Amino acid sequence: MSKRLLSLAKVQQQAVDTGRTRLLVGAALMTLAFGAVGFRVVDVAVFGAGEPKRAHGQSEVVAARADIVDRNGLILATNLKTPSLYANPKQVIDPARTARDLVRLLPDLDPIETQRKLTADSQFVWIKRDLTPRKMAEINNAGLPGIHFQDEERRIYPQGQIAGHVIGYTDIDGKGIAGLEKSQNLALTTSERPARLSIDIRLQHLLRLELSKAIDEFKGIGGAGTIMDVRTGEILAMTSLPDFDPNHPGDMAEEAKFNRASLGVYELGSTFKIFNTAMALETGVATMRSGYDASQPIRVSRFRIRDYRGKNRWLSVPEIFMYSSNIGSAKMAMDVGTEGQIDFLKRLGMMEKVGIELPERGAPLTPQTWRDINTMTIAFGHGISVSPLHLVAGVGAMVNGGILRRPTLLAQETDAPAPGTRVIGEGVSENIRKLLRLVVENGTGRNASAAGYLVGGKTGTAEKATARGYARKSLISSFVAAFPLHEPRYVIFAMVDEPKGNKRTFGYATGGWVAAPVIKSVIERMGPMLGIPAVDEDSPEIRRALAVEDAGLTDQKRKKRDASF
Amino acid sequence: MAMKETMGLGETELTLGRKIALLNWAIVLLVVMLAAIGCAMLFSAAGGSWDPWAARQAIRFGVGITGMIIVALMDIRFIMRWAYLAYFGALALLIGVELAGEVGGGAQRWIDLKVFKLQPSEVMKVAVVLGLARYFHGLTHEDTGRIVYLLPPILMVLAPMALVLRQPDLGTALILGMIGASILFVAGVRLWKFALVGMAGLAALPIAWSFLRDYQKARIMTFVNPESDPLGAGYHILQSKIALGSGGVFGKGFMNGSQAHLDFLPEKQTDFIFTMLAEEFGMAGAVGLLALFLMVLAYGLFVALQSRNQFGRLLAFGLTINLFLYLFINVAMVTGLIPVVGVPLPLISYGGTAMLTVLLGIGLVLGADIHRDFKIGRRGPEED
Repeated sequence: MSKRLLSLAKVQQQAVDTGRTRLLVGAALMTLAFGAVGFRVVDVAVFGAGEPKRAHGQSEVVAARADIVDRNGLILATNLKTPSLYANPKQVIDPARTARDLVRLLPDLDPIETQRKLTADSQFVWIKRDLTPRKMAEINNAGLPGIHFQDEERRIYPQGQIAGHVIGYTDIDGKGIAGLEKSQNLALTTSERPARLSIDIRLQHLLRLELSKAIDEFKGIGGAGTIMDVRTGEILAMTSLPDFDPNHPGDMAEEAKFNRASLGVYELGSTFKIFNTAMALETGVATMRSGYDASQPIRVSRFRIRDYRGKNRWLSVPEIFMYSSNIGSAKMAMDVGTEGQIDFLKRLGMMEKVGIELPERGAPLTPQTWRDINTMTIAFGHGISVSPLHLVAGVGAMVNGGILRRPTLLAQETDAPAPGTRVIGEGVSENIRKLLRLVVENGTGRNASAAGYLVGGKTGTAEKATARGYARKSLISSFVAAFPLHEPRYVIFAMVDEPKGNKRTFGYATGGWVAAPVIKSVIERMGPMLGIPAVDEDSPEIRRALAVEDAGLTDQKRKKRDASF
Repeated sequence: MAMKETMGLGETELTLGRKIALLNWAIVLLVVMLAAIGCAMLFSAAGGSWDPWAARQAIRFGVGITGMIIVALMDIRFIMRWAYLAYFGALALLIGVELAGEVGGGAQRWIDLKVFKLQPSEVMKVAVVLGLARYFHGLTHEDTGRIVYLLPPILMVLAPMALVLRQPDLGTALILGMIGASILFVAGVRLWKFALVGMAGLAALPIAWSFLRDYQKARIMTFVNPESDPLGAGYHILQSKIALGSGGVFGKGFMNGSQAHLDFLPEKQTDFIFTMLAEEFGMAGAVGLLALFLMVLAYGLFVALQSRNQFGRLLAFGLTINLFLYLFINVAMVTGLIPVVGVPLPLISYGGTAMLTVLLGIGLVLGADIHRDFKIGRRGPEED
């Protein structure tokens, strides 16, 4: 019994030893493997061992370009497989006959050019790209030696013209050469995931439609429009007319290629008074209760600054805004000073290109030497040219509580407010909202008032600068609006280039007559489309929230001021 | 240890207070650190938000670590008594998933428990260790040498492997096989038997290839030459390597990993979270994380070496191997050393079942440590 127990203990001891040895072997193997992985991490992270290398001579992968979709996932750009025809001249037996047959089947080929290609000293020449399957069958049936097909991806834009300027187009080799196709070329070719734009194609269509109606009615030469979400900087719609169909980039007119919304820079006129007023309020040189003498035009050397339909009296700051007084605005700007103005415009991004994802971005035109006269004219939007996108981004910051956000054409992950830089205080922004509302309720912007959506805005009617000074009859008529003003979400801009007045507008072609109605029609349809609740504009809470106290100075106060000046 | 003298065969009891004192709190701290890193990475993966991953992961960890400590404090004989039941319970779950599982990512791997979705194949990794440790604990050294006694454990490994393969989940099946093999190895199965099985396996490889799904073949082929298909199956690995390389020595900084945040990196919250960590914290961060894991693994091996009962030894070793395989396969995969198999990074990747089973496993190892001086009879705790 005790012997058995002893031998059992021995065997047991042996088992424990084996186990122990093997455990150590296992541990050693694990350590080795662990070391290998650790080494690999260092190798890849520091020496980039994993970087892909393309073998010499290996042809570029014919990669499917990723789709582009709108914010709701609707396809804006996709690919279609099409056969392309090429020849290997070394295999072509009878070039003359082959060329004749090809030209018979594809009548738009040039016979001489085709024959020259077929006799070229090469093994590959394109004959025709992007054929239909029917044509491919016909050519195959002709049984021509040395004639081959290659499948290619052709870029298709199902929405056609509607967002041509935003999307852009590709060249025949599928490389983006304009619009987002160009700026996002890398992402579209390296990621399989579709590029989701901030554009809402419904709004895009709506804006384009209403703008083109206005251009037709007023016989303008073009126009631009933009809708931006002021909380995220997302551009929901952006149109420039005339536009083009990116499916046929070869057919477009040079004029149509020009993106007025982002590349074109214009003196936008009175809409700049929004910035001027905000600047005066922010720097503290004026308050909502300040007043300026607008009874006399200002003379500076050979220039004269006048008011269009002036009131010829003292005006309060809200009145200057509401009646769009150039004189009052110029005086406010002079109180801030040239330095302050330059600084403010710089912070608003008005001195550099807009940081949007488009290659077609216009650089602002600003005075080379910034004299007092420049400061004064810039107060009402002359002497500085910016793109409509500059204006929209700037106005967004004026109404959203004071945060300037970079406009973007790519859909943001969340609905949360995007980061930005503060340019004015919350209180100033609130005052600007009140002033914008005032213009639509009582001033030049009444035509933009879409009932129930608390629209506020500012007109801009600028004479176009020509080589010989300002042209009286060539106008840039625009309107910039924000809504709903009690909690601003959208900024909308519409602009018509060289509108002509007509009977219905009594010959007027100003922003209030031409562009404001565009804004109104767009908002009236956009509101229900996006489910924006309409509000009772006459409810006491809203009135109180957006009312400007003391819009006009009382006679008594005015007298007091007169005495003190 | 002072207790040693007073311990008889299966007689000694440890008071709860004594167990808490014996619990290796340094390891608990290590585990908490690792989970905290995981939550930080998930916070970053969501673009600086607790939603949708980090908050849930933190809650799961809270539940999991409580379970871990409870398991560690349980009497090892009690665990041993229930080991087979745990194994067959997990097997039943695997059969359940076969019958009523939810299809996710092209494979049937989940059981919806309403509260969270259970992945029985993960549970099986711990259960198979428990079952095998229990089995070999009951064998003498001579028994281990007999082929008849080897059939039950081999079946115990093959049955879940077959079920997991049917899901189909090749990676997990191979891991189960490796866990089983390593326990058999440490239990003392003769080496020539391993050689025999190994050669049989090699011979069966061509047949196995024909049974692989197309996507599995594609992954292996892509692994051999990822550049051949940069936009298809090779995409994961290429993007992962680019991200790793872009991190450099010290990384781009927390929440600044562009590859991950621009969504070039696939599955950044689960299988490729290590890549994201390496992009944001660089080689230094990645190696640091590996060092933390190495400490946990070293501890597991230490427990296995110190344990005076076979059950505890095999349990600690098997679970350490399990943790090691998770880690090794995941890191080797994202660095392109082995083909893409969906294995998460333990405690870091988003995912409930893996986190809970890993914590459970560490709990068992901690328990084996507390009870390492127990001597348990061969027939189990009921003996004597």
